[in-house]
Amino acid sequence: MAVKRKIIKERVPTPERPVEERVKSFVEVNLGYTFELAVKEAERCLQCPYDYAPCIKGCPVHINIPGFISKLVQYRDDPHRAVKEALNVIWACNSLPATTGRVCPQEDQCEMNCVMGKVGDKINIGKLERFVADYARENGIEDELLFEIVPKIEKKGQSVAIIGAGPAGLTAAGELARLGYDVTIYEALHEPGGVLMYGIPEFRLPKDIVESEIAKLKRLGVRILTDHIVGRTVTVEELLQEYDAVFIGSGAGTPRLINAPGINLNGIYTANEFLTRVNLMKAYLFPEYDTPVKVGKRVVVIGAGNTAMDAARSARRFGAEVIIAYRRGEDDVSAREEEVEHAKEEGVKFEFFVNPVEFIGDEKGNLKAVKFERMRPIEERDKRGKRKIVGTGEYVTIEADTVIIAIGKHPNRLIINTPGLKVERGRIVVDENLMTSIPGVFAGGDAIRGEATVILAMGDGRRAAKAIHEYLTRKREENA
Amino acid sequence: MYKILEKKEVAMRNVWYKVHAPHVARKVQPGQFVIVRAFKNGERIPLTPIMWDREEGWITLMTFIRGKTTMRMANELKVGDELLNVAGPLGNPAEMKKLGRVLAIGAYTGIVEVYPIARAWQEIGNDVTTLHVTFEPMVVMKEDFEKAVGRHIVEPVPMDMTKDMRENMKNVTKRLTEKVRELLETEHFDFVFMVGPTGDQKAVFQVVKEFGIPMEADLHPIMVDGTGMCGSCRVTVGGEVKFACIDGPGFDAYKVAWDELIARTGYYTDMEMLAMQEYMKALQGGEQ
Repeated sequence: MAVKRKIIKERVPTPERPVEERVKSFVEVNLGYTFELAVKEAERCLQCPYDYAPCIKGCPVHINIPGFISKLVQYRDDPHRAVKEALNVIWACNSLPATTGRVCPQEDQCEMNCVMGKVGDKINIGKLERFVADYARENGIEDELLFEIVPKIEKKGQSVAIIGAGPAGLTAAGELARLGYDVTIYEALHEPGGVLMYGIPEFRLPKDIVESEIAKLKRLGVRILTDHIVGRTVTVEELLQEYDAVFIGSGAGTPRLINAPGINLNGIYTANEFLTRVNLMKAYLFPEYDTPVKVGKRVVVIGAGNTAMDAARSARRFGAEVIIAYRRGEDDVSAREEEVEHAKEEGVKFEFFVNPVEFIGDEKGNLKAVKFERMRPIEERDKRGKRKIVGTGEYVTIEADTVIIAIGKHPNRLIINTPGLKVERGRIVVDENLMTSIPGVFAGGDAIRGEATVILAMGDGRRAAKAIHEYLTRKREENA
Repeated sequence: MYKILEKKEVAMRNVWYKVHAPHVARKVQPGQFVIVRAFKNGERIPLTPIMWDREEGWITLMTFIRGKTTMRMANELKVGDELLNVAGPLGNPAEMKKLGRVLAIGAYTGIVEVYPIARAWQEIGNDVTTLHVTFEPMVVMKEDFEKAVGRHIVEPVPMDMTKDMRENMKNVTKRLTEKVRELLETEHFDFVFMVGPTGDQKAVFQVVKEFGIPMEADLHPIMVDGTGMCGSCRVTVGGEVKFACIDGPGFDAYKVAWDELIARTGYYTDMEMLAMQEYMKALQGGEQ
């Protein structure tokens, strides 16, 4: 008699830290699955065949999702083996699963397509990925797998320079190191990790996890030079003389500002500055850590993406009253659902259809209020399909002593000034192989996209690694 | 990491470091700066390389002890220790062109940042006069300047121990503006350049403006990353928002929104005081 598969409609929830506890600390909110819970959730997966699986199609790096999930069920009696096999499947496509499991917008990617969604809750792919990575790290399984992989790497005798130790650069570095290239990453800040270190708060992505992802790359032989600002310390042309190929993963580091009077008043932060002070420089531990940050009693965050949620939730943890002000409506909020939910649970208030027109300060140059124009949506749609908004001529003033501007970023200007590098609207132009206008120089992530997600940048890193591998293979053959 | 090859207190509260940082030494130009992070829980602070040797791979830096970080560096770092990070060079090099007769001014430790620029300007054929106004026990690099430029003027201001620091600093500002006025009234200058506290830069600018002489100032707003990422160092220049780290640090003094810059520079003063007090308390506790 064939075993009839029982469909379990409800998701196995992951435990979370209680709200009253988490608004007081930067400790991670979501606690993740235990092995038992992970297996229970994994069992819900319908195991769509590889060629069909819609989750894989939705993943920018095409992780074999049913493949890794099935290992958890198959070896349920041997957690060590189950996780090791699962991790091996994930690593084939993604070297940073502890990160992506936490910060990917799964609901718009893998989970969006999950067949289970037609009959019940979608499989919690993100949390399962995170579980595999965490369990492997905490139980020495990652080390074991690295120990097996590293000696098998065949050295190619060619070298690649990578600009930027963010998601795109780290991914490309991992892939290329495993293919046998000598990889050196040039990083401007004092810690590698890029936005994972300076941008995403500890309560969403603990920094020791980023550090361990980077330690893993170092074990694969990747060399990381911090404090090196490409465009100043060394130029792209100089790198090209020293290395066989170059990958630019310099991200979108320049914050966009609002063109309104009073923008330079004290108390107005860009999200980059605020989050860098808090995350990278650990200003929440001031004065034990030397870098200060000032969070007033009333904080207004302008924008409604993930960065805005991160800034708002960070500000809440300093005890502030926090309002997210967005010029569009709730339907247009671009942040992940989970982040919006967490923000609401933690007491962040939302104000929709307001557009800042003036920042009002006191006689000392400190911010005291923001003047907004009320907006209203019209039927006409913009290029992205969002409803256009127009001013109403009505104004509202919100008192605030701190404003955090989270309305997006531009690519960093230092690298795009490289002679011969084709750039359009501040973004580096690449061909279908992610090669720039300079032969041997590739680019990916926010440097070519403007501003996107960690996983899209990682997808680019992976694609670029593949293209660089092909390019360098041709070069080797030509020289042979 | 970046080994401290030599270190000495060259004048009251002025500490000089010679640091191994080949990646900076190879590339640095007059006018550029580095970001230093000395301790794991330390800040990222901008400092200006004063001298360097491209072959030997070292740069020299000077700190003025004014807050917790600079005091910790002075107290805790020994020759042979390492700075955790020296990132750079950052910022745009000073423009190297024929300016004619130049007055290059430094208030307090600002003079050390004037040095590489003044020297380079002198070398390419300008007639450079440097002016250093500071407290008497804080005079530094006198001989270096005398060798490097056409004329070096030192205006030491005595410290009145019966008065507080703020009162004393007013005397420096007074002497500074008086001396600049005297020089501009009696001699011809084509160009003025200045490094020092923002308030003093503004005060000097107001004098220079009366004479209509072009003036550039190296600005020192609060910085975090120094690479154009955070926007902390933004300053309004000619009605536009600029980032001192990647658009500067040198700007046309006539276009700078000075009062806004002064307000921004003072934003963390209370917190800096707190950090300093905590550090002093810890030091005293440790000695018991």
